[in-house]
Amino acid sequence: MTLHTVCLCVAAILGSARGFAGGFQLNELGARAMAQGGAFAARASDPSAIYFNPAGLAFQTQPELYLGTTLIMPQVSFYGPVVDANDPAIKNETKMTNQTFTPIGMYGTYPVANNITVGVGVTNPYGLGTEWPSGWVGRFLTTKVDLASFYYTPTVAYKVSDQLSIGAGLNIVTGTVKLQQDAQVIDTTTHVSIDMTAKAAYGFNVGVLYKISPEWSVGVSYRSSVKLSATGTADFTPQFTVAGLVNDNVTSSLTLPATAFAGLAYKASPNFTVEADYQYIGWSSYNQLAIDFTKNPANNVVAPKDYSDTYIIRIGGEYTMNELKLRAGYLYDHSPVASAYVDPILPDANRNGVNVGVGYQFSKAISADLSYMFLKFDQRQATNTVSNFDGTYNALANLIGVSLGYTF
Amino acid sequence: MKAIILNVSAALVIAGLLAASGCTDTAPSGPSASLGSVTVTKYVAIGNSLTAGYQSNGLYESAQIYSYPNLISQQLNAAGANLPAFQQPLWPDPGTPSSATSGVASRYVIISMNGPVVGPANEAITALAPLNAATLARPYDNLGVPGAVIYDFLDTSSFASKAGAPRNNPLFEAILRTPVFGNSILAQATALNPDLVTFWLGNNDVLGYATSGGTSPAAPTDPAIFAQLYGGSLTLLHQALPKAKILAANIPDVAAIPFFTTIGPKIAATLPAGVYLRYQKHGNAGPALDSTRFTEANSPLITLEAGPYAALIGQSPCAQWYHDLAASLGIPFTTLFAQYAAAGIDTTTPFGLSPSNPFPDALVLDAGEQTIATNAITAFNATIANVVANTSGAVVVDMNSFFNSVKANGLSVNGQTFTTAYIAGGLFSLDGVHPSSKGYGIVANQYIKAMNDKLGMHVPYVNVNNLPGIPTPPLSKAHGVQYPNIPLSAWKSFHTLWGSEN
Repeated sequence: MTLHTVCLCVAAILGSARGFAGGFQLNELGARAMAQGGAFAARASDPSAIYFNPAGLAFQTQPELYLGTTLIMPQVSFYGPVVDANDPAIKNETKMTNQTFTPIGMYGTYPVANNITVGVGVTNPYGLGTEWPSGWVGRFLTTKVDLASFYYTPTVAYKVSDQLSIGAGLNIVTGTVKLQQDAQVIDTTTHVSIDMTAKAAYGFNVGVLYKISPEWSVGVSYRSSVKLSATGTADFTPQFTVAGLVNDNVTSSLTLPATAFAGLAYKASPNFTVEADYQYIGWSSYNQLAIDFTKNPANNVVAPKDYSDTYIIRIGGEYTMNELKLRAGYLYDHSPVASAYVDPILPDANRNGVNVGVGYQFSKAISADLSYMFLKFDQRQATNTVSNFDGTYNALANLIGVSLGYTF
Repeated sequence: MKAIILNVSAALVIAGLLAASGCTDTAPSGPSASLGSVTVTKYVAIGNSLTAGYQSNGLYESAQIYSYPNLISQQLNAAGANLPAFQQPLWPDPGTPSSATSGVASRYVIISMNGPVVGPANEAITALAPLNAATLARPYDNLGVPGAVIYDFLDTSSFASKAGAPRNNPLFEAILRTPVFGNSILAQATALNPDLVTFWLGNNDVLGYATSGGTSPAAPTDPAIFAQLYGGSLTLLHQALPKAKILAANIPDVAAIPFFTTIGPKIAATLPAGVYLRYQKHGNAGPALDSTRFTEANSPLITLEAGPYAALIGQSPCAQWYHDLAASLGIPFTTLFAQYAAAGIDTTTPFGLSPSNPFPDALVLDAGEQTIATNAITAFNATIANVVANTSGAVVVDMNSFFNSVKANGLSVNGQTFTTAYIAGGLFSLDGVHPSSKGYGIVANQYIKAMNDKLGMHVPYVNVNNLPGIPTPPLSKAHGVQYPNIPLSAWKSFHTLWGSEN
C-alpha cells in the first residue's frame, strides 16, 4: 500500500524540479526528483534512476513502470535590438510566442535476480523550442527553432552489497532539428525552413551509489556525450535561383554534452530526508552550429556558439506523512553561454528555480507524483554579440511535472 | 484525505504566488527616446548627391524619400522633435532626365538578372522640375546638390550659369532655384535658421577624378585649396548659425565602392594562365606599357563602366570602345580615332591583351591614380577632423572608418548581412557609387550614432529591415552572372555631374 516498496532508498524525496537547464538541456525527467530541485543522485530511489544514477536501480526490488511528463511553459521577452547603451530601442519589447513543451521521462524496471535489476528509459534530456512573432525585428536571425532528442536507455544495476551498488546503461540517441528564419536578397524576402533528423548514435551512462550509514548516502553518475549526425532538407519559399537560394539537402552534426551528478543525501529523521547535488555539464562541446548545404555550399551556415562547461547546484528534500509526501527544492543553474553568444535562438541566462511537489500512494501498486517549479532567469544583457543583435532578455518559466508509478 | 487536499492546495497556492510574482516583467533600464539637451526645431542637410538621395544614376521620388536627411528628420521626430515637414526637391518617378533634351530618365534599372543587364530603360520623364518647386516659397531643407564640390558651398555665382559649360549641371538651378532664397548654399541654409545641420561635402573633390579613371578631371582638388575652402565653409556656417549643432561627415575611400571592385575580379577570374591584361596608365593614349593579372599588390581598379568591354577582352579586331566613345562625345569615329592611331593604337590586335590595343585609361584607376585619390582623401579627412575640432558645436561623423570596416568585414544589421558587393551586397544602388535605400538607412544611422554618442541625444535608429531593397525583375529570370552590362552612353549623365574641371 505504500510506495516505499519501490523506493527503497532513504525516505524517497520525490521529484525535485530542475527547470530546464542551461543551454538546451532538460533535467525534468521525473516528477519526484523535479520537486526536490533535481537533487536525487544520492538516492535514485525510483525508476528515474535510469536518468539520474543507474546504480539506484539495484536497490529497487520490484518491477515498476514510472511514466511521466513535464509541461514547460516559458515566457520570454526581448528588448532591443540596440546599437549601443545610448540607444532608446532598449525599450522596444518583443515577446516570444508562448509555447508548452512536454519532455517525457518513461521508465520500466525489472529485478532479474536478487542483486541485479534491469530497466529501460525513454527520455528527452535535450530539447529546445523558440518561436518569435511573424515579422519580428530579428526574423533574419530566427523565427522558429525546434530541437528534440530521444534517449533510449537499456540499463543494468548490480548490488555489490547492502551498502554499495553500481549501474550502467547504453544510450541510443536520435533527434530532430527544425530551424526557420527569413532571408532577404536584394528586394525579395524568402522564408527558409531547415528540417533535419539524426540517425541513431550511441553513448553510455554509469553510476555508483553508496550508503555510508543508515542516515547518509552518496551517489555519483556520469553520462557520456553523444555526437549526432543529422541530414535533412532546406526549403526556400519562394526559391530565388539567381541568388542560389534553391531547395537543397543539408547535413549537420551536434554534440550533446556529457553530464555528471554528484549527490549527498541525509536522512534527518525517519520521515525527512534532504539531499544536495552538484551537476556538471560539458557544454564546451557546443562550440559552433554548422550546417552544410549539398548543392550550394555558399549557403553554408557556421554560427559560433563557444559554450563553456558549467554546473547546476541542486538542493531538495522530502517529508513523508503516511501515504503523502511533501517535497521542495531549489536549484541554481549557471549559464554556459557568454554574453557575445546570447541570441534569440536560445536566450540563455543564469537561473534560479524553486520547486514544490507532492507524492501520493493510492494503493500498494499505484502512486503519483506532482511537482511544480518556478524558474526565474536573471535579466540577460547581450552585448557585442557575434550576430550584432544586442539587447536584453527577460525570461521565466512555469513547469508542472507529473509522473505515475505502477508497481507489479 | 482532507489533509492531503489541504496540503496539495497549499502547494498550489505557493506555486501560484511564485508564478504571479514572476509575471512582472521589468523592462531593462536605459534611455527613452529624447533629444537630450539639444534643441532641434529645424534641420537642414547640406551636401551633394549622397545628401540628395541620388540612387542608381538618378534623382527620383521613390528613392529620394529614403535620402538619409529625410530618414534623419523622421527619427528626430520620433525622438520628440516637432519638425515642420522636411522639404526635399522630389522629382516624380522615373526622375531626372539624362539630358535637357532627351526626354528619358537617367536612372538605371535591372533589365535582366542574366548578366545582369543594367541600364536606363528608356522611361519617359514626367517632370522637368521638382514637384513643389513652384509652390515652396523658401529654400529646400535638403540642400544636397548632385555634383556639388566644396567650392560650391560658398560660391555666389548664378545657379543657372552652372547649367552651362564647363559644369553642364542643371541641378544647382533646379534645387537652389532663385538667389532670392539666398545666393549660395550657405545663404539658403542660413535663411532657414536651423539648429541642427548635417554637412557632407568633399566627396566630389575626389570622386569625379576617380570614377573617370583619373581622366576627367585630371586631378582631385588640391588639398591646400580644399583645406582653405572647407575651413572657410564651416567657419562661416558656424558664424551664421552660432547655436546650431553641425554634424560633418568625412570622406569614405573611393576604393571601397562596387564601382571599382566589381569588374576587376571578374576579369581576373577569366584570364587564362600566363595571360595578362594590358592597360593604359594615367594620361596614356597609346600602347600599354603595363600589364596585370590582378594578383599584384598594386593592381589596377577597373570601373563598373568597363562591364561591356571586359566581355570583349581578347577579341580582334575590336574598336568597340572607340566607337562608343565617339558616339558618347558626339563626334565622328574617324575624327576621334585619328589621334589614337597616331599614338600607336592598332585595333586589329586582340583587345586588352595586345599592348597596341590596350584596355583604355578611362576605365582603369591604376596604382598611381589610386595613390593620388587615397592621398587626397587622407588629406581631406585630416582637414575635416581639424576644422571640426576647432568649430564650436560641430562633431565629425566618421564615414571613412565605417565604410572601410564594412568593406573589410561586411555589416550585419538585425540578421541582414550587407557587403560592398555590386547588387548582391545590398548596400549600394545600381550605379555602384551611391547607396541603395537600405544603404541610406545605414548612412542615416551613422549620423544618429554621432548624435547619440557625441551630443548626448537618444535618437532611435532607422529600422533598415523595413527599407526597400534594389528593385529586381521577376524571380523567374535565369541565372548566369557575367559582367554587369551598362551601355557607355548611359554613363554620360553620370559623368556630366562630376566630369569637368571645377
